[in-house]
Amino acid sequence: MTGSRRQLTLRFVVALVLLTGVALMASLPTAQAAETPRRGGVLLAAIGADPPSLDPHQESTFANIQLVAPLYSTLLQMDPLDSSKIIGDAGTEWNTSPDGLTVTVKIRPGIKFHDGSTLTSADVKASYDKIVFPPQGVRSSRKAHYAAVAGIEAPDPSTVVFKLKHPSAAFVANLASPWNVIFPKKYLDKDPNHFKNQVVGSGPFKFKSYVRGSTFEGERNPDYFIKDRPYLDGYKFYISPETSVRAAALRSGRAHIEFRGLPQSEVDAIRKQLGDKITVQEAPTPGWWAVGFNNKVKPFDDVRVRKALTLAIDRHTMGKVLFPLTGLRDVGGLVRPGTQWAMSPAELEKLPGFGRDIERSREEAKKLLAEAGFPNGLKFTMINRNVKLPYQDFAVFFIQEWKKIGVEVENRPLETAAWFDAGRQTKNYEAIIDPHVDFMDEPDLTLADFLSNNPVQNWMNHSDPQLDDLYARQARALDPAERKKLVNGFERRVFEQAYFAHGLWWVRSIVHASKVKNWVAAPSHYSNQKLQDVWLSED
Amino acid sequence: MRTYILKRLLLIVPTLLGVAVIVFLIMRVIPGDVALMILGGDDGGQIDPQQVAAVRRQLGLDQPLIVQFGTWLWGVVRFDFGDSLWTGQPIVHELAIRLPLSLQLALMATFVSVLIAIPLGTLAAVRQDTWVDYVVRIGSIGGLAIPSFWIGILCILFLVIFFGWGPPLEFTPPWVDPWVNLQMMVWPVVTVGYRYAAVTTRMTRSTVLEVLREDYIRTAWAKGLRERAVVVRHALKNSMLPVITLIGTEFAFLIGGLVVTETVFTLNGIGRFVVEAVAHRDYPVVQALVFLIAFSFVMVNLLVDLTYAWFDPRIRYR
Repeated sequence: MTGSRRQLTLRFVVALVLLTGVALMASLPTAQAAETPRRGGVLLAAIGADPPSLDPHQESTFANIQLVAPLYSTLLQMDPLDSSKIIGDAGTEWNTSPDGLTVTVKIRPGIKFHDGSTLTSADVKASYDKIVFPPQGVRSSRKAHYAAVAGIEAPDPSTVVFKLKHPSAAFVANLASPWNVIFPKKYLDKDPNHFKNQVVGSGPFKFKSYVRGSTFEGERNPDYFIKDRPYLDGYKFYISPETSVRAAALRSGRAHIEFRGLPQSEVDAIRKQLGDKITVQEAPTPGWWAVGFNNKVKPFDDVRVRKALTLAIDRHTMGKVLFPLTGLRDVGGLVRPGTQWAMSPAELEKLPGFGRDIERSREEAKKLLAEAGFPNGLKFTMINRNVKLPYQDFAVFFIQEWKKIGVEVENRPLETAAWFDAGRQTKNYEAIIDPHVDFMDEPDLTLADFLSNNPVQNWMNHSDPQLDDLYARQARALDPAERKKLVNGFERRVFEQAYFAHGLWWVRSIVHASKVKNWVAAPSHYSNQKLQDVWLSED
Repeated sequence: MRTYILKRLLLIVPTLLGVAVIVFLIMRVIPGDVALMILGGDDGGQIDPQQVAAVRRQLGLDQPLIVQFGTWLWGVVRFDFGDSLWTGQPIVHELAIRLPLSLQLALMATFVSVLIAIPLGTLAAVRQDTWVDYVVRIGSIGGLAIPSFWIGILCILFLVIFFGWGPPLEFTPPWVDPWVNLQMMVWPVVTVGYRYAAVTTRMTRSTVLEVLREDYIRTAWAKGLRERAVVVRHALKNSMLPVITLIGTEFAFLIGGLVVTETVFTLNGIGRFVVEAVAHRDYPVVQALVFLIAFSFVMVNLLVDLTYAWFDPRIRYR
């Protein structure tokens, strides 16, 4: 190669490197720009039901909170991008007194309701008074969560003070409940039920329209207290009770998202058709499905029978079998596996029904049944809800497992109202499919199912003073290590007594168009629904 | 004639009263409590028994049954069906949202099915045991055998998978945008109309066949009348009485009976409303809707009876 040729080659290589560098430099900002939030667009969502009313204080269904959460502020909130953190919303700072009996929250100044009035501590006090001390004729779905509250004060317009009867480990987390929206006091003074049919909030979106059974719409609040938010011009929910219709709406682009989650079979079909045009987020949820035994009815008043029935269930296989069908997947205790209060898998596996050696468990189960006077097995009826997912498949798995130890069970599906009536009121059942879903991972909420004086929530129909005592102590324990010990002790007691046969924890699969940005699925389908940070890309 | 209509209209009162009593009692006998449903939501949660009692009091469910029924009936007399226990909204408002859609669907499906069924049924009868008859019979048996909601799901999946398109999810009244309305309504109309047409085709075919064997038809042929005159003027008109009875009953059924089709096509109609109200134990809504459906059955039957005279002048009303 001659010198000039070599020089030419060198120049060519240098030029090529430079060009490549320039091209790379040029492409970098473009890639970043693609992730820069874009203003505008209306988020289209599909939802499975209408809410009974629009007042979140009075309702307990996703059909309420998903529709109205973007219209309101709460005192505190779970971080939209990391739901394990609690951050402020209308409240900016909060502190608990050293004795744990006073919680003070400072209110952000200058927040405007959608009617133009200013949000003050008087509105917060009025809203919380309605939740904690509901007046006659007003229901409060979560009054029991605030049993520790002795009184609420508003010493000045920017301060609200909660006085507690006893320290409460869960209290601050409960102030971040998505249900505890702040209403303007002046409307509550006239009619505490005003917000069942009306909306005046201070959230990122303003109410636009609602046609029952059809659509619900919100539009951007230009006076929202966080500058430049929300990014969206609005949001619109299409109400359709049929799962396959909601899935088809996502496939055809008529909806961008279904927040509650779709069955895995639909998720797979959508993924197959739309590829990277859709994104699937998996969200392990603070909710389980289980079978409750009526502990006051024979033979379920005998701990040996109950223990045999829980020992017979191979939960580890059940998770693998049921997840594609139902979304039920994770094996865990009474608090969601992997979270702050949960016991380790090794500890859990020592408890009846959680061991890995299912054959040994089945042998033990048969032995216990024989000891209890049922050497040839037994027969009973299990009340179920006549809803396909996940109720029927879940029941079928249990029934099959029980058959292996000689227990014959009839699955009796009832329509929702009759099923609730049996579980919550009449207790007219031998065994019943018993689900539990919370808005956050909080032992106070989850463990309350097992309290003696809580007949509406305790579907096992048992009384256990030891559990009541452990519950009260964990609820007051402000030291996390001490609380965890008490919570785990509570779990051990429940599983040793086998008041119920635990099933699996729910994992939601949320499908959305990939153009929906900055929305992170929270564990609960009640949380992270304000949509203030969500935006739509152009694709 | 006027006396007959008046008599029939007066008979509506005991009929509807009977329906009201039966529905009222059935709704109270079946287990379930709207207060528990309202407080408990769909996923359980903590419920205060005092709150349950307070809600029952607030909804008037703590009153004796006879008082509850009397209050409701007095409201009906004044055309006030009360408020939904579940939503607190006046039932009349809830009906106003849904009734136009259900009526449009019922009318369109009836129109489509009559348009298809009567010519096809007649043709199949006239060409009995030919390939035309076989094709019509296979098509109509298919319509009877295949559930319409399944055809609906297939329609939607076909559109979504092959065209990446799905019908609109929101009802737009025809007077607002007829094109968007048609995009939504055409699929349920096809789905429901197919089943409806199948039933009507079968009925038309068998009644026309029966009439074609009558003496006066033989006479008409003997007189040398053309086929069209024999079939349309003599056979078809005389075979219409059972067919219009069927069309009337089917029409009334469509107003409140399309629960699954409405669900599949996201139609916010009366059928879905009934089922949701039953599931929520929303007593006044169920009573009002059953009342409405019973009323539409009675009225449609009256209209059908009145049209008999046009088809068969021998019929006299007293």
